[in-house]
Amino acid sequence: MNIQIDQPAGAQLAARFVQAAGAFTRHRLFTADMLVQFGASPVRVCIRDGAVVQMQTQLPPMCTWDFAVRASEHAWQEFWRATPAAGWHDIFALSKSGELEILGNLQPLMANLQYVKDLLATGREENP
Amino acid sequence: MSAELEPITGRYVHLDIAGRSCRVYFEEAGSGIPLVCLHTAGADSRQYRHLMCDEAVTSRFRVIAFDMPWHGKSYPPQGWQDTEYQLTTQQYVQTILAFCDALAVDRPALIGCSIGGRIVLELARLHAERFRALIGVEAADFQQPWYDTSWLHRGDVHGGEVCAALVSGLVAPQSPAVYRHETLWQYMQGGPGVFRGDLYFYRVDGDLRGRLDGIRTDVCPLYLLTGEYDFSCTPEDTLRTAASIPGAQVTIMRELGHFPMSENPQQFRGYLLPVLDAVASRSAAR
Repeated sequence: MNIQIDQPAGAQLAARFVQAAGAFTRHRLFTADMLVQFGASPVRVCIRDGAVVQMQTQLPPMCTWDFAVRASEHAWQEFWRATPAAGWHDIFALSKSGELEILGNLQPLMANLQYVKDLLATGREENP
Repeated sequence: MSAELEPITGRYVHLDIAGRSCRVYFEEAGSGIPLVCLHTAGADSRQYRHLMCDEAVTSRFRVIAFDMPWHGKSYPPQGWQDTEYQLTTQQYVQTILAFCDALAVDRPALIGCSIGGRIVLELARLHAERFRALIGVEAADFQQPWYDTSWLHRGDVHGGEVCAALVSGLVAPQSPAVYRHETLWQYMQGGPGVFRGDLYFYRVDGDLRGRLDGIRTDVCPLYLLTGEYDFSCTPEDTLRTAASIPGAQVTIMRELGHFPMSENPQQFRGYLLPVLDAVASRSAAR
């Protein structure tokens, strides 16, 4: 018997992010561990000297991170549309409307903000 | 000569603002009705470069854009190194009026974006008789803050980069990449603490909620244009503001964000030209 179990939306989004951002790199002295959460599904992104070197969807016990970005599955789906609607197009637009949370030590985030914004946008659909 | 020369020319003018001498850079193009242009916080007059090269505008308007002191090619006033820059409502009004007086422009039309849009409302309130039309782009009496401005000026974060990265989300996704990145480059080039100092006016000193009674749009027409992707000055902020000003004419602009004239000049002119047509018609009828 072949039983197919659908992945929950959060896990699907996390998998999409891992695929899209796994090779992300910029010429930048930036090292941090970031947690990105899609509903209940986490991805821990390890960045070393501007390159994503590891993405974990199964977090080990006592896992630590520098800062986290968390939003619902719906918010990420809207954010990742090829042309997002107004209000869903930027992490601070989502934060202002209460759809996204930014937590932790914000210094590495703010010192590398465009890097992180570009990294988070890698999951965006392509224009047809 | 075969080189492509733009019609923009730049000069410096010396202004006395609140007893301090300021050397102010401005650019202009065109002839006709003077149209004074105010840039956004933390940026400079380059935001109006497309407007100054648009013949549909410059054939009828003398477009003049200046860099506020501390911005672009205008130095801070002498002694700046011992002060913290904080733009106040009073200073901002004085600067605009001093510039218009120095150039002896007769009842100009004026367009301002973001902080320039906010000060348009103050000019409409207190100095309507000095202008033939006021155009507030991304203008409202107040906006809810969406980040802590202390991140804009501190030792462990590059000020230019964080300013640009923050405002990058205010550019509409439809805006051409070349103009998106030009707009952000302006923010990367701002002086340390200048964007933050401008936001003192925007967030602390220039709250106009409940203070817009008595604006006479019959004396000076007021036009408000806001981009749908602006989550800083939202369409709702502008509509609320317009509702409190009898006669204010408001348009919400599709596929534009917080920097319409800079981020997507082609899309913006579709909304601005009808306003300028109305300004020109009214001027011709008087």
